Amino acid sequence: MKKLLYVAANEVLLLVKDKMAVVWMVVLPLGITVIAGFAFGGFGGGSEELVIDLPVVDRDGGEMASAVLDVLSQAENLRVETEYDQEGARQLVVGGKRAGAVVIPSGFSSAVSSGQPTALELIIAPGGETGPLLAGMVREVTGGFSDVQIAVEVAISEVQRATGSHDLDYDAIATRTAAAVRDRLADPPVRAEVTTVGSSGDEGYDVFDQAVPGYAVMFAMFAVLSAAGGILEEKERGTLKRLLIAPVPKSSLLGGKLLAQFVTGVAQVVLMFTFGALVCGVDLGASLPGLLLITLATCWATTSLGVLLIAVIKSRKQVHPITTLVILGSSAIGGAWFPLFLMPEAVQRVARITLVAWAMDGYNRLIILGGSLQDVWVDIGVLLLYGAVCFSVGLKLFKFKEA
Amino acid sequence: MEAIVVEDLRKHYGAVQAVDGIGFEVQCGEVFGLLGPNGAGKTTTIEMMEGYRTPDSGGVSVLGLHPRQDEYELKERIGILLQETALYHDLKLSELLRLFASYYRSSVNTERLLEMIGLQEKRGAFVRELSGGQRQRAAIALALINDPELVYLDEPTAGLDPQSRRATWNWIGRARDEGKTVFLTTHYIDEAEEVCDRVAIMDHGRIIALDTPRRLMAGLEIERRIEFVVGGVLDPTILESLPGITKARSEGDGAYTIYAPEAHVALKTLLAQADEQGFALKGLSVEGATLEDVFIRLTGRRIRA
Repeated sequence: MKKLLYVAANEVLLLVKDKMAVVWMVVLPLGITVIAGFAFGGFGGGSEELVIDLPVVDRDGGEMASAVLDVLSQAENLRVETEYDQEGARQLVVGGKRAGAVVIPSGFSSAVSSGQPTALELIIAPGGETGPLLAGMVREVTGGFSDVQIAVEVAISEVQRATGSHDLDYDAIATRTAAAVRDRLADPPVRAEVTTVGSSGDEGYDVFDQAVPGYAVMFAMFAVLSAAGGILEEKERGTLKRLLIAPVPKSSLLGGKLLAQFVTGVAQVVLMFTFGALVCGVDLGASLPGLLLITLATCWATTSLGVLLIAVIKSRKQVHPITTLVILGSSAIGGAWFPLFLMPEAVQRVARITLVAWAMDGYNRLIILGGSLQDVWVDIGVLLLYGAVCFSVGLKLFKFKEA
Repeated sequence: MEAIVVEDLRKHYGAVQAVDGIGFEVQCGEVFGLLGPNGAGKTTTIEMMEGYRTPDSGGVSVLGLHPRQDEYELKERIGILLQETALYHDLKLSELLRLFASYYRSSVNTERLLEMIGLQEKRGAFVRELSGGQRQRAAIALALINDPELVYLDEPTAGLDPQSRRATWNWIGRARDEGKTVFLTTHYIDEAEEVCDRVAIMDHGRIIALDTPRRLMAGLEIERRIEFVVGGVLDPTILESLPGITKARSEGDGAYTIYAPEAHVALKTLLAQADEQGFALKGLSVEGATLEDVFIRLTGRRIRA
């Protein structure tokens, strides 16, 4: 154990002496985080909420269409634009200037009032991040109107059954019923009271709440995997052989190096969060123990992934291309750059094979959603398991010397 | 008492038989050299003795321990200088020594070590700032950091300037005086002759001769080469007709080379001839057999061909 600590201390000493490594681990991550924050709207509004411009084309012009416009206009994250026609709105989406557009078809109001099936048309561009979010919002609106539609159908049917008459003014009844149901749904007798715990709930979503943990995880991976590549470099340069001459067990030798990488990774994430909290105004949430544990689990998983990679990668020349691919690929789909919940469902499912996705899920729950330690146990557990598997396989495959 | 016992040691890499059934013993306090050309199998042999490589077959006992089974105990008692010394360039020399000292149960005083290798004034210098010779001396210091009973030196002076080579030889002499056993590999003839008590000559994975350098050279019936310069002109055929001289050659400008099986017989004849004919011998030198001659005699090739 003593020798393991000596090896780890030596690794940290060597790292500190490497000025480029310090730039890579400290200056670059902080700089990139700030740049990304600016690029995605940080600082400008402080805690300003994410607002999506949404062209809405009303081809119906009826009462129900107005109701749809009202509902969409009242949504906190939408800014409704009604000045475009259908083709204009479509071109905006195709040109990437808008994430999506809604078309209210003609006959929408009468269909809803008479209980006939109808649909709002949502135009979105494939592959966008905000498209799925919009789809969710529009589905919520249409879901509300479906409730109205069902209520009207049931009411008319009940009236016909009770009176046995088909001579009544059912259009008028339907209109009045729909209006009454909408009013009642606006103030439902039973509703869920949602209380957001933690301090970030009422302040909204700040881009740095995402950018700081995202880039912290990504650069921790860069630091740890680059240090893991250093073991291959030592192997090729011959310093590892020099260490093997000393009476240091191989387990202590590798363990010491990994401990140093783990500590380095944790230090980097802590530095990033400290910077994020003090300079970028990131609210770290209500659970510092949760934040610490998810950080430790993330760095353990990252360090273990490093062991696996250096066991599989055969030469130093392969290290950078492969680790860069792994880091950028998993950061992109794992939610380090954009919140995972904004991704298409298929991407979200695939992302679960990356440690970044579990780490970011944990960080998002704690920082953006203001969750507690209990909310991230699964993420911590998966990251620990992920690390254990990578570590065991990597250790089995790693060769200290060539045959 | 034997410090090292090697029995029928073998190791192959693919189709190449790097070490092919070698065996020898090294006595405690002895400087033992393994001499041979590059690729002879010297480094593979020393690495199996260090425990760094596993032999295909055969036995190695070092200080009564098995290099693999007693790996860590043995490492506490031996020092190793690798053929290619790779050090941490970003550490200061004193940091480097302290780092490696920390890996051993006991270690010598690093200041004393710096003094011994003559690098006291460089203790605060980064390894990257040291010259090639100074780095080699730093590597020797690392090999001695645990005050080992046995030191392995793999090509200790390869690539060094004459001054550094001489300093290394002096240090090897001091190590022997302190009772340490030294096992070295080299492809330098003069190094083997200068510092080794006994030499094993290795070629193609086999030991082809083993003895003290003097006995190895004395065992050869090789003609001595005698060179001299005279003021006038001599006829080589007359020289060749003299007793004890088998061959004579003019090198131009009054310089001559003669060959003789027994140097003292040829010199006696030559001096008598000079006295009789009245010419003075200048720059007289006698070249004896070297370990290179031994190698050539045994293999038909030069060591550094």
